[in-house]
Order: sequence, then structure tokens, then C-alpha cells
Amino acid sequence: MSMNSQKATEELSLAELAEKAGVPGRTIRFYIAKGLMPGPFKAGRGAFYGAEHLQRLAEIKQWQAKGLTLTEIARQIAGSAQPMKVMETPTAYWSYQLAPDVTVQVRADASPWRLRQIQRVLRDTAQRLAQPTTEEANDGNEK
Amino acid sequence: METKSEYSVFSAINSKTGKELTLAMQELMLTGRLLPVGASLQVRHVFQCAEQKPVEVVYAFGLPRDAALRRFRIVGKGFSVMSELKPTAEAVKMYEEGIEAGSLSSLARQYRDGVVNLNVGNIRPGEMVAVYLEILAGVELRDDGLRFRFPFTLAPTYHAKTKSIEVEPGTGEMELPEEFGDVILPRWMQDATGLHRVGFELTVAVPQAVAEIGSPSHAIKVRHETDGQHRVSLAPEKDVPDRDLVLDIRTQAEIAGVTGGIGKDGTGHFAVVVPSSAFGKTEVAPKRIVFVIDRSGSMQGAPIAQARQAVEACLGALSKADAFGVVAFDDKVECLAERLMNGTKERREEARKFLAAVDARGGTELATGFLAAAKMLGKDGGDVLVLTDGQVSGTETILAKARTAGIRIHCLGIGSASQDRFLTLLARETGGVSRFLTARERVDMAAVELFASIGSPVARGVRVEADGITFAPELPPAIFAGTPLVLFGETDGKTDGQIWLTWEGGKLKAPVKLEQSSEAETIRLLQGSRLITDMEARMDSVGETDCETTRQNKALEELSTKYGLASRAMSLVAVVKRKGDKPGDLPETMVVPVGMPQDTEFGAYFSGGAMLCEPVGSYLAVPAMVRDENLPPQFSIRRGIGAGSSDFVLYSTEEERYGAEDLLLRLAALIELDGGMPGKDDEERWVATAVALCCFLAEGHTATVGAFRLHVARLLGFLRAAPSTATDERKRRLLEQAELGFAPAGDWTKQARALLAGKPITRQNFWRAATVKQGESVP
Repeated sequence: MSMNSQKATEELSLAELAEKAGVPGRTIRFYIAKGLMPGPFKAGRGAFYGAEHLQRLAEIKQWQAKGLTLTEIARQIAGSAQPMKVMETPTAYWSYQLAPDVTVQVRADASPWRLRQIQRVLRDTAQRLAQPTTEEANDGNEK
Repeated sequence: METKSEYSVFSAINSKTGKELTLAMQELMLTGRLLPVGASLQVRHVFQCAEQKPVEVVYAFGLPRDAALRRFRIVGKGFSVMSELKPTAEAVKMYEEGIEAGSLSSLARQYRDGVVNLNVGNIRPGEMVAVYLEILAGVELRDDGLRFRFPFTLAPTYHAKTKSIEVEPGTGEMELPEEFGDVILPRWMQDATGLHRVGFELTVAVPQAVAEIGSPSHAIKVRHETDGQHRVSLAPEKDVPDRDLVLDIRTQAEIAGVTGGIGKDGTGHFAVVVPSSAFGKTEVAPKRIVFVIDRSGSMQGAPIAQARQAVEACLGALSKADAFGVVAFDDKVECLAERLMNGTKERREEARKFLAAVDARGGTELATGFLAAAKMLGKDGGDVLVLTDGQVSGTETILAKARTAGIRIHCLGIGSASQDRFLTLLARETGGVSRFLTARERVDMAAVELFASIGSPVARGVRVEADGITFAPELPPAIFAGTPLVLFGETDGKTDGQIWLTWEGGKLKAPVKLEQSSEAETIRLLQGSRLITDMEARMDSVGETDCETTRQNKALEELSTKYGLASRAMSLVAVVKRKGDKPGDLPETMVVPVGMPQDTEFGAYFSGGAMLCEPVGSYLAVPAMVRDENLPPQFSIRRGIGAGSSDFVLYSTEEERYGAEDLLLRLAALIELDGGMPGKDDEERWVATAVALCCFLAEGHTATVGAFRLHVARLLGFLRAAPSTATDERKRRLLEQAELGFAPAGDWTKQARALLAGKPITRQNFWRAATVKQGESVP
């Protein structure tokens, strides 16, 4: 969002922005502090917000509904020069290398509880992959 | 600013990342008075702006049990302003306008689950501001003392729709879904070193003589004042916010009587404490009980090990007539069996095997756990003992389900960050009792104690009558051994009166005499905070448009206004206009981090690993979590130093692991269905049972007193029924003594150890130890 290059069509106070977006003023300040959106145009008494702030607040809601946390949204915004498109499906995945030749990807929006369950299975699998199976051992004996 | 250097020592470093921490909140200091029926507290929060621009600080904390915020005073250089109590929407508007005007604004707003956000906005660079917040809170009252808990950290909680992330190594963030409103949760730090300092100094004001004061959570100093009061404070200079403060006060005599008086406005406010012993003894009746164990990820380590051990200890107290079930839940439910089972040796063995496989894993779907128990109990009903850390969000929804389940839920909370408020409500709303322990205490002992008192209450259908006195809240449906009845009453100026308590099969008269007292106001506020908590617990949804919710909010607003206490409907707000306030300046929002609760695994909520949007992470490179399954050092107030022995006493939380209580628990678990100990023939069983009995008696447990009273009663029953007792003079004499609560002198611990090691005690050895002679018996 390039605030400075675009002329805002509407000048909103923080209270007006909060009212229009249905997001409390304190939450908006929190988002600004977290780097989710830029601060107001101008500082001090003449500070105002524009349509793009309104749009960003709507985007944040959509990203949240897709399962991203505020920190993840902030990271994505910081990492992309272009405005981030709202994705149809979450694309953030954890990557687990179970063996030199095996990598498993797990959706990052899994709940921590589900993630722990998955991790346990992966740990078991990694251990099993690290050991020769009985068949392999037998094969070795035959040779 | 002059005071700045005082806090400049706090240039803390995050040990995981090496980054400097900027502390927006420097200190949290708890002071106040502990009464038998509640606590009147004041918490000092010191905020300081170390930034180049103004800041808005948000501190999130959880309310203790039955607590409500009364008011706060915000103090800084040249000002001291008291808060106003306003409907929440109005308070938020006033706060926002204050921020917009550049004024120093503060708002204390309560959300669901008793979570509070204390906001202080527009603290100028270099400025220091203190907020003195007054809180009324309940205590866990027992016949022989009380336990007080105050949360210094907030527990992360489970909700199916919660999002959590490890934002940097050792730092976790959690976000609740929209239905929880705009509540801001803190960041959780795996290492709490370097966070704001916490401290406390509390006055214990109970009318009975204090036998002991101890803390399983903190090292404390106790000073005995000449007026009979005791001052308890933190022994070290400072501490970190990673666990609740837990204080135990044990009195020499049972806590009983009337507290309060006539206030300035001429009305009387008082609380009556009636110990459970006043209702008579429990008749031993068959139990129908289901143990419900929380196996969620947050129970990993000491809590789950403690819960397993606790249930095993309770199984030993089951008799032939009792029926039991075991349920383990996370986001799935597993039952030992579809229906209740008898406590036979085989069934108990099955239960032990089932328990051994119960390790910590998924989420905390508490309601599915107790609903499974309700199904098992069926239409005949019964008791449910839930062992949980209670770390869940959306507690009002769970409470609504519990109320309709038709079962009595007793809670044994385990954890160092308080979910005491929720578990107290869960038990109270279903007619049960609740205890909350830290994982460093004898949870198993508390379980045995709780188990002995539930099932058969000492009184049912209790009613109160008195002329010109109104009582609120309503009385509990049943009174259990060990937990007194507390009544809050109000008179329109009447100073003398009689209270009649009646219950099924009994009645009791208590005189009330009130005098002018400043305590009247404290009691009024404690009553108010209790009533507000109860009302909030029954407000399930928070939808703005819902007609029912609007009505509930209105009722809560009225109750808040009546007592002058904040609630979810009413908030506290203050705006301080200072010289040079700059309108329109946007303060930078800073959220105060807290420590991950001690004994809760960081990884249970905040998973490690690396995101794909960053360099690819390798699972194998992440060290697997190694958890020491050994239980941490345990605390027991019984082994503390007597309060009267010195003017200045230091308590340690370190305790030896294996003691007499472990021995008793292991003996208890061996008791067979007929009440006797195992053995190859009748004589060997008689001797083994007598050894176990003597062990319990020697530690002060009799058939009517102590946590193991049910076990003792069953051992006595076995010996009484044994044919050889009637024919053997020595055996009969031993039994007579034991029934009076005496054990013959002897090294019963040594004999019991041999028994547990599988070495049978010979008849000869037993009688050599049990030299039952007059004068040699020890209580």
C-alpha cells in the first residue's frame, strides 16, 4: 500500500475509520504498531486516514479468516513490495525433513494440538526411516 | 525524571534472541488484606515510557476466583485521578476521545473468561505513571484454613479456533476468534527472566489463631504483628511473572463465625462461616463416581503424572458397593468402559493399565469429557471428579453445558497459572467443590482428601431463615466435609438477630450481633463481586443484537452499579488532561509480555519449526523435546515451620520426594475390595492389614479424620469381620485401640516398607512390633 503516492479520496479521523471498518480504535493502533498498516497521513492535530486504511482493515479480516495470525500477516506485508492478494487457500507450510531423501510438508494453520500430533507421527516415521527394516536386514543376510 | 534511574536496571535481554526488551510495565506490586471470606486487594502497576514517542500500554491479566475490579487511581507527576465506573461502550468512547485529545487515558475493561485489559495510553517519553487498581477476590475456604491465589501471569488457553504462533524463539502469541471481542492477549515468554518484577505484601486478618502460613509458589517472609495479624511478603527482593501467588493459611481452630457489621449508611453487611463439621459426619454411602482426566498437551510433564497418581490413590478407597469409571479426554474422549464398574481387584488393575497409557496430547475439550462421564452415570446420576489445568477459553459455554448435564462436578485443578475462577464456577454451578493445586504439591493427597468428602455430603437441602435479613447468593445444594458454608447477609440496620439453618435431618441456630464497623463495606463489596461473577458465568453468548444478551447486559449493568464494581458490562475509565497534551498524536501500542506458566510446556501451545516463507526448516535439526517425567519437588504445608515458632520465618518450596504420604498412598492402592490387604492366607492378610492400619493411624489418619479416613474405615471393617479377631485376645485389644484412633508404638513405616517390597510380615514379627500395652500407645 503506497500511501504517499496516492491521494486519499476521503479524510477520516481514527474514530470515523473505526466506525466505518467496524474495528475498535485501540485495535487499529495495535495493527499500526505491529506493522500491519501504515500510520495516519500527517502527524499530530491534522492526522487523518483514508480509503486505503479502510481497505487494509478489510484485507486483514479476510487474512485472519483464512487462518493467518497477525504476525504472519505482518511478515507477508513486510516481505512483499506489492499489495498482497488474498489467497484462496493458505500457502504457509511447515517443512520437515525426515530423512535426507524425505521431506514432508504440513499446513501451518493446523492448531498447535493437531501439529503436535502430526509431529509425533513424523518423529516416529523419522526414527523408522533411520533404521533398516527387518526385510532390508534379511535382504542383507541373503546377500 | 527523578525516578527514572530507579528502574534503569531493567534493560533486560531476551535470552533466546539476545535482543533487548523494552519494558513498558516495570513493576506489579500486590498489597491488601486476606479475610476468611475474601480478599480486599490493591495492585500497583508502574508504567514507564522508554520510547521517543508516547506509548499506549496494554496489560492483560486474569481475575482470581469471585473477583471484581472496584476502581483505580492513576498517579503521575502533578496528578492523581480516580477512575469512573461507566457502561463499557461509554467508557471505551471516553478513553478513545482522551487518546485523540492527547490526554493520559486509562481503561480497565473485562472480557469473557474473566480476562481484563488494563490500558494506559499517551504516556509521554520518559514519563512514569502508576495505576493503583483495587480488586475484590474470593478465597478457597476450608474448615481449617484458606488458600489464596493471585495470578501474576495469564495461562494460555485452548479453544478450537484459537491461533497461536511462536513469533521468535521462545516467544509465543495467541489470538482468540472474533466472538471474544477485541481482547488483546499478552506475548508469552518461555524465559520470564527480565520481565517486569512482581512482589507482594499481604495482611492476614482471620479471627482464629493462625497455626501455619506457607506458600507452594513463592518463598515468603511472615511477620507476626502485636495485633494478632500476620504480614506475608515475598522473601527475595523481586520475582518474575511466571506463576500465581498461592498462600495457605491454616488456623488452629476451625474458621467459624460472623464477619462484618453496620456500615456508614446504616445498613448491615455480614458474612457467616459455618464449618462443615457443624452439620455432622458423613454417612458412608455407596459412591458412583467417574474420574475425568484432562490429557491435553498443556498437562504434559508433572501435571499429567500427578493426575494419574491421584486417580490410582483414589481407586484404593473403593469398596464393594462403589461403582467407578475413568474418562480421559483431549479433543477426543476415551473411556475405560462404556458403563460404571465395580471396584474389584481386576477392574482396578484394568484402570491402572488404562491410566498408564494416558499421556498428554491434544486440545482441551473439557465439555466432551464430562458429558461422557454424564452418559456413563446415566439417569441415576453421581459424582464426577475432573482433574484438569482448566486452560480453556469460552468457559461460559462450558459452564452452560455443565449446568444441563445433571451431574455434580468436583474439580481438582493442577497448574501454576490460575484457572481457579473457572474451576470454582464449574464446581459451584453443578453443586460440587473445587480445589486448585500447583503441580509441585501433593495433588494425589488432595485427590484422596477430596474423594473422601464427595459422594456423600454432610448436609443436603440446606435452607436459611432469619427475620429482616436477606441472603444472596443462594445456598449450595449440598455441603461436603472439609468445605464450610459461607452466607452473605444484608440487614436494613437491624443489629441483633438469629439465623436458623435447616437441612435434611438437622437444624442449627446462629446468633448475629452487628456493630458499627468499617468491615461492613468490605463484606458488601465481596458479596457484590461474588454475585457479579455468578451472573457473568451464566452469560453464555455476547452477541450485541441478541435480545436475551441485551437483557442480560442490562441486569449485569444494574448489579455493577448497585455494588460500584466493574464487570463485563461496566468498565473503569480515567482521563487526565495535562499541560502540553498534543491532540492527534498516535501513541505506539505496546503489549506487556508475561512468562509462560511454570510447569506448562511452551511447546504445548507454541510449536517450533520454521515457516516455508522463510528458509526451509528441518525437522531433524529441531531437537526433540526431552521431558523429565520425574515430578518436581513437592510442597506440603504440614511440613512447614509453625507460624508461632519465630517472628521471622522463611519457607522453602523444596521438599523431600518420598515421605510418609507416599508410603500411605502406596498402601492405599493395595487395599482389596473386602477392605483387607493382600496375602496368601487369612492370617497373613490379617497381619498385613493391621500393619497398614497402624501406619495410617500413626500418621494421624483415623476413620473420621484425615485424607485417608475412607481407607482407614475399610481396613477397620476388614479386621472387625475377620473370624480370628473375635477369638484372639491380642487382636481384639488392638482393634479396640485402633477404633479409638490409636496405634500401638512401633516402627510401622519399616514394616510397611517390607510389605510393599513383597516380604510377608510374620505373625511373630508383627506382635513383637505391636507391644500393645497401656501407656505405650501413641496417638
